[in-house]
Amino acid sequence: MALLVALPFLPLFLWSFAGEWRFPDLLPAEWSLRGFRALAEPGSRVVEAALSSLLIGGAATVASVAVGLPAGVALGRYEFRLKGLVVFFVLLPILVPPLASTMGVHLTFIRLGLADTSLGVFLVHLVPTVPYTTIILASVFAERGVELEEAARTLGATPWRAFLHVTLPTAAPGVAVAALFAFLVSWSQYILTVLIGGGNVVTLPMLLFSAARGSDPVLTSVLALLFALPAVLALVVALRYLKPGEGDGEQEGFVGLGGKVS
Amino acid sequence: MSARLEIEGLTHSYGGDEPALSELTLSVEPGELVALLGPSGCGKTTALKVVAGLLSPTHGDVRIGGESVLGVPPERRGAAMVFQKSLLFPHMTVEGNVGFGLRMRGVPRGEARGRVERALKRVRIEGFAGRKPGALSGGQQQRVALARALVTEPRLLLLDEPLSALDANLREGMRELIKEVQREGDHTTVFVTHDQEEAVVLADRIALVTGGRLRMYDHPEAFYERPLSREIAEFFGATNFLRGQARNGCVETPLGTLRLEHPAPPGEVTLTIRPEAVRLEGGENSFSARVRGVTYLGTQVLYGLDVSGGVHLRAALPPHTRLAVGDEVTARLPAESLWALADGETTPG
Amino acid sequence: MDRRVKITLLLAPALLVVGVLFAGGLSAAVVQSLGYLPAIGMTEPNLDAYREVLGSRDFVDSLLLTVYVAGASTAISTVLAVLAALALRNSAGRLSAAVFQLPITIPHLVAAVGIALVVSQTGLGARLAAALGLIGEPSEFPALLYDRYSVGVILTYVWKEVPFIALVVLAALRGVAGELEEVARTLGANRWQRFWYVVFPTIAPGVVAASLIVFAFTFGAFEVPYLLGQTYPTILPVTAYNEYRSIDLSSRPAAMAINVLIALITALFAAAYLRLGRGLGRG
Repeated sequence: MALLVALPFLPLFLWSFAGEWRFPDLLPAEWSLRGFRALAEPGSRVVEAALSSLLIGGAATVASVAVGLPAGVALGRYEFRLKGLVVFFVLLPILVPPLASTMGVHLTFIRLGLADTSLGVFLVHLVPTVPYTTIILASVFAERGVELEEAARTLGATPWRAFLHVTLPTAAPGVAVAALFAFLVSWSQYILTVLIGGGNVVTLPMLLFSAARGSDPVLTSVLALLFALPAVLALVVALRYLKPGEGDGEQEGFVGLGGKVS
Repeated sequence: MSARLEIEGLTHSYGGDEPALSELTLSVEPGELVALLGPSGCGKTTALKVVAGLLSPTHGDVRIGGESVLGVPPERRGAAMVFQKSLLFPHMTVEGNVGFGLRMRGVPRGEARGRVERALKRVRIEGFAGRKPGALSGGQQQRVALARALVTEPRLLLLDEPLSALDANLREGMRELIKEVQREGDHTTVFVTHDQEEAVVLADRIALVTGGRLRMYDHPEAFYERPLSREIAEFFGATNFLRGQARNGCVETPLGTLRLEHPAPPGEVTLTIRPEAVRLEGGENSFSARVRGVTYLGTQVLYGLDVSGGVHLRAALPPHTRLAVGDEVTARLPAESLWALADGETTPG
Repeated sequence: MDRRVKITLLLAPALLVVGVLFAGGLSAAVVQSLGYLPAIGMTEPNLDAYREVLGSRDFVDSLLLTVYVAGASTAISTVLAVLAALALRNSAGRLSAAVFQLPITIPHLVAAVGIALVVSQTGLGARLAAALGLIGEPSEFPALLYDRYSVGVILTYVWKEVPFIALVVLAALRGVAGELEEVARTLGANRWQRFWYVVFPTIAPGVVAASLIVFAFTFGAFEVPYLLGQTYPTILPVTAYNEYRSIDLSSRPAAMAINVLIALITALFAAAYLRLGRGLGRG
């Protein structure tokens, strides 16, 4: 089973270090670091695109955690009328592809001068990231309950201080999972960036896409590995430090919606 | 249908340093109810799962009705188990749950229906057959789980803390029901619990297990009257311990020489006596003492007594005795209630 | 503070983001699909775009292809995932868990590129076939990319989604389904009876819910078919995108109409998923 999981990575690794590799050889005849050198070449735009991806992903992460945290508290902690409807509404962008809404919003973005800008791209990335942070954090707060915070209140903490000093620290692993997710979702976006960025905002997946449509498997493979790197790091962090196997909430968060990071 | 259960030299290790269970040997007579008693993590549930076949032992043997069942999978051991959580199948009705074991054995539907009805009647759940488990209370769910285990007429009934998830007020009723059903059906039963009161009330014999080992296996009253060690005595609520030197069947203690009815082994011993056995009267084994504390418990009063030589004792007396702190009294330790623990030398004190 | 005000304030930022950028965008898409685009002089709302789209052969072909790709990916992933979960349930290894979760976090694009390099006519698979003497020329290897059956697309989805469904199933198997199975064992159920009467009914709602998510996702996803799919017909999101990019602005309403239809279909699956989820919570 591990072999099947690893299978697509095998050609990516081999091609990344291949010099010459003709059909039908099973292994490259020559090895080279050409692909990696190409990344660093001034004309390659890879560094620039990676920075752009990082910047937009970082901003989307911070913003969607900031937006998702209060909403997660509301949904995780309180029962209220129309709650089911709110959950449905917030989850909708995960299940209904944001392609349609992005095309719809495009005209308005052009009018507001947001089209073809990183700011505009950042804004449409929030459409798929905010639902993830909200739902993950809602499950985190639902699981934590209010007892600890109530205990803090009886010891003289104001509601705000109780939240800040008691609730937030205990929810930290959940917040970290939500942040990782938001980053990965933004990092993986292709079509939303293309639609709103209009070719002006170049991120890594766009370079990977054009490489994949071209005829250089070496460059494609190197880009693909670079593009996959944060996902691997995120998984290592999540498994090592956040113990998703134990807390059900985190596991739900990581697994329950995880299939849809694209 | 009930059978004798024999467990011999049973050891089970989950792979850690200490085995969860080591060298457990005991036998349960047909129709007998044995409580496996011990603190949580002592290995008692492990033992039950090994008997059921859900775990295989590292060493040792399990025999049901005289035959080793080591190679026999759980589904063919005829050992039905009731768990701490009711674990009813959520997608089946009460009837479907109780009839499950019969269906697995291919019992014809008409016969199965009658047996399910009778089983539900035995646990006093009637009129719920068509409901889903989610619509039942915790107590009702646990009764259905019991009926589900009973309906197959198992050779062994294994109960794993079936009362611990219930509210205190339901526990007693369920305890009575289990005892009644078990007697009626003459089921050979192993009952795992950490609650010594539960074990005492229910069991014909209690097997006390701590740290994966069997410490004592006897009738409930023996744990009060003739405990094998100070640890066991303490587990059963004993608080009075007196060090002494045994000589000619009597024991020299700081309170004077006490006579015992049960012979004491010569040498250093620790005497124990239950608080409710201490008398406030003169006679054999009596001495003067002074009241240092009074705790009113409703059905009795617990007195702390200071005796000469820095010895403290506790006496539980009927609630009508009215003594105050500082009162001088004469106390007596009846010879038939004193018990000498052989491990006196290992507990300095 | 009044409880209702407090809840409203807490929810406000998230509702604003989803309301403006998603619901607002979707509403704009609906308006534009009705042919209302003042910027290019279209001001008469009508249903022409829907008539045109629903009546066209292209759309029907696209829809059929989309249903096929999403359906096949979901069905294959679900079956493999249940089998994988049953096989993995007793191995508690940390490493295997990590390896198994890897496809979940890897971007679809990376998976697509990797799969393409395995199954293309000069890929690893073809090279292996050549080494075994099965083929001589790359063209003798079956075309699995840009093909009628979307094999490359489906393989990529299967690779990505099997672990996702399997982990949902695994969580259920290691939790209550495992306990219920033990009960069934002590009540005399053999292996097959346990699976059929106890384990399968217990995990089924979770499996169905996960499959619904996968179906909705593969129905509306763009990248993988855009990269590995054939040029005609294309799956619906790609068709919509192609219409949208067309220089002829009058095809905008048609693009939007396709978008609205995709949104409607996936929203139906979303509603089914949430309904099921709530039912689970109650049970």
